[in-house]
Amino acid sequence: MLPFWLILPTVAVLFTIQVYPALYTVWLSLQTREPQGWRFVGMDNFRRLSGMGVFGESIGHTIVFLVGYVSLTLVIGFFIALLLNRKLRFSGLYVTLLFIPWIIADIIVGIVFRLLVMPDYGLLSGILQNPALFPPNGLSVLTAVPPASWVGNFPFPPAPAMVYLIMAASWRALPFITLLLLAAMQTVPTEVVESSRIDGANGWQIVRRIMIPLMLPTLVVAIFSLTLSGMNGVGMVFSLTGGGPGSSTEVLSYMLYTLGWRQLEFGRAAALALLIAAVNWILIFATLRVTRVEERNN
Amino acid sequence: MKRLWTLMSMVLLMSLVLSACATPVAAPPAPAGETAGGEASASAGEVKDFTTWYQYDENNEDPASDERVGNQYLRDTIPAFNEAFAGKWNWVNQPKAWDRMAAELVAAVQAGGDVPDLFEMGSGQVTQFYRNGTMQDVKEWASAQPWFADLDPSAIAACTGPDGGLYCVPVAERPHLVYVWKDRFPEGFPTTPDEMLAEGERLKGEDLYAMTFFGSTDFDGEGATRGVWMTISSFGGTYDDGAGNMLLNTPENVAAVEFLRTMVQSGYVPEIAFAGGFQEENAFKDASAGAFPTGLFGYRYVNPLTAPNGNEYTKGNEEDMLDAITAGDVILSTFVAPEGQTPGCEVAVAGFGIPVGATNPEAAFDYINWIMSPEQNVTWVLTAGGGYPALLTTREMDAFQTPFYQQAGKVLSASACRPWAGSMERPQEAQPLIMDAVYKLIKEDPTADIATTLQAAQDEYNAGN
Repeated sequence: MLPFWLILPTVAVLFTIQVYPALYTVWLSLQTREPQGWRFVGMDNFRRLSGMGVFGESIGHTIVFLVGYVSLTLVIGFFIALLLNRKLRFSGLYVTLLFIPWIIADIIVGIVFRLLVMPDYGLLSGILQNPALFPPNGLSVLTAVPPASWVGNFPFPPAPAMVYLIMAASWRALPFITLLLLAAMQTVPTEVVESSRIDGANGWQIVRRIMIPLMLPTLVVAIFSLTLSGMNGVGMVFSLTGGGPGSSTEVLSYMLYTLGWRQLEFGRAAALALLIAAVNWILIFATLRVTRVEERNN
Repeated sequence: MKRLWTLMSMVLLMSLVLSACATPVAAPPAPAGETAGGEASASAGEVKDFTTWYQYDENNEDPASDERVGNQYLRDTIPAFNEAFAGKWNWVNQPKAWDRMAAELVAAVQAGGDVPDLFEMGSGQVTQFYRNGTMQDVKEWASAQPWFADLDPSAIAACTGPDGGLYCVPVAERPHLVYVWKDRFPEGFPTTPDEMLAEGERLKGEDLYAMTFFGSTDFDGEGATRGVWMTISSFGGTYDDGAGNMLLNTPENVAAVEFLRTMVQSGYVPEIAFAGGFQEENAFKDASAGAFPTGLFGYRYVNPLTAPNGNEYTKGNEEDMLDAITAGDVILSTFVAPEGQTPGCEVAVAGFGIPVGATNPEAAFDYINWIMSPEQNVTWVLTAGGGYPALLTTREMDAFQTPFYQQAGKVLSASACRPWAGSMERPQEAQPLIMDAVYKLIKEDPTADIATTLQAAQDEYNAGN
């Protein structure tokens, strides 16, 4: 009986803060609210969700955001990690400075980035809205309309506001990813790198043929961690673009927020939350699978 | 046997946890009069907390805060209330963000959590609260009060839910109108759309803009209730068919959107109008835009001001706009309307609701009666509420005979103001749909067919009816 009593507090806490809310969300997704109370509507919330024009748009925006955010953060993070991996003077100071964005709340980052490019009044608007630099009319980042799509209804190329949102989100995520990659880089045996250099490999070949394969498990974790945080984060969208201009930065997590906390459509919001949770589960299982395969290979 | 015992313990524990967390069945909104008469008030000598949710925060003394006027009001008024009800009530205000307080309240009521005794609300939330069983019906209690007969009937109608219950007590009416920099329009503010376009072209030649307005889709389509609705209603248009359905694809609405599209695409509206976060106000503050359609209560927020003639109004509070109006730099006007149409606008009501599950509704009743006393009523309307008093006798008082209120009175008597949501029962869903459609048409895709886009938004809403 002792093991049972020992794990009981943990089980109770998990049940209260995870299992019960999850079951409640499932129940909520099958209900609608009326003055007299909740009414069972079956799958109607899912049907109405799929009928919302903004739902399809949000899926496209989420994909664009995730691809941009993950790839930009990884590429820049990798190069910064490469630089820090060299024996530089004051490298401890650089790492400390690098960590600053990570300790700022994403909602604050969003506000600061917004103030920088506020049309006509932002710190950078004088440069960005200069027609000589950005012909023909200058660039108003937060209000410029998206270019015509190349791929049917899919939002690509993205609106300038989406590109800016990706940049802001990447800026904040860079410290964590850089340190993660730096730690992985430092586990790459220096003898292997040195011997490959003696064999005539150039820098790019060393990175591509030696470092990336040896860092693969960490890279996979970084990719999925970024994807999960990008998929579920709402603070930056909330404070930077508010989903606009129009709906061009409305991602699924922000749509969930507006459905639930602005429109008070808790049933449909719960339905959307379940769909997002399903995608999260797929990502988590994929991460676990890949890392286990890697462990086995090692 | 041991396993069975373990299993039973687990089931028992889980059911205890579940019952502790379970959502209590929401009690149907009981007529508040019953509560008032049925339960004992605070017993003699025992001071009870009276909890309110305001969008204002008495502890925020930041002179740059958007809500500085309301914050100051609470700082001044809480001690006065506590003195008036010494030994009975102690007013505890819990400040809430204006765009999230309704959601917090609905969630709190449905979850059986802590709710305030009194909630500062607008008539635009009545349907939403009614659908969610959030507010008590105070009709029985309110209609028995001496001030009730003095209320503007349209304010009472705005607080009335679909079932005929009264879900808020109206204190101030907040119509919308146009703030105009007089010197930007030497020939007077235009009265027709064609004149407005001509003025827009003239001002563009001077690197200025004819008007700024809430043109973004921010705050879940809040813009649909402001300048866009003023335009639509001034063109004789509507958002609903009077029977609960959305009605967007009408010739009047198409003409109104066409007008807004021309204004935007011709460069008569500044880019900041589409940035969201109420940043569109900036273009009026520095007079780069000549006009600004917004709520009458907007005077509290739009400051400091720099007039076209260089006059500066820099107190940084609600007095700036009032001073500019008194000096004649800013005038109030109706919006433009085609020949044969009366300029339209939004009108909403600000007041109080008593949530289902309020601990001390008697305190809320005492508070509302206190606010309805002449002195407190004037103060609330001028500061926390903004707009016109819902009590007709209060309108006659000196405080509402200033140049600002005199001008506003003339403008509003020449306008046909009505609530934008009309008969729609899901205004919070309608709002973003309308604003997204209008934004796409006037800003994002100036070649899109207006009627088709409006019809698509209309069909999407009506599919949920």
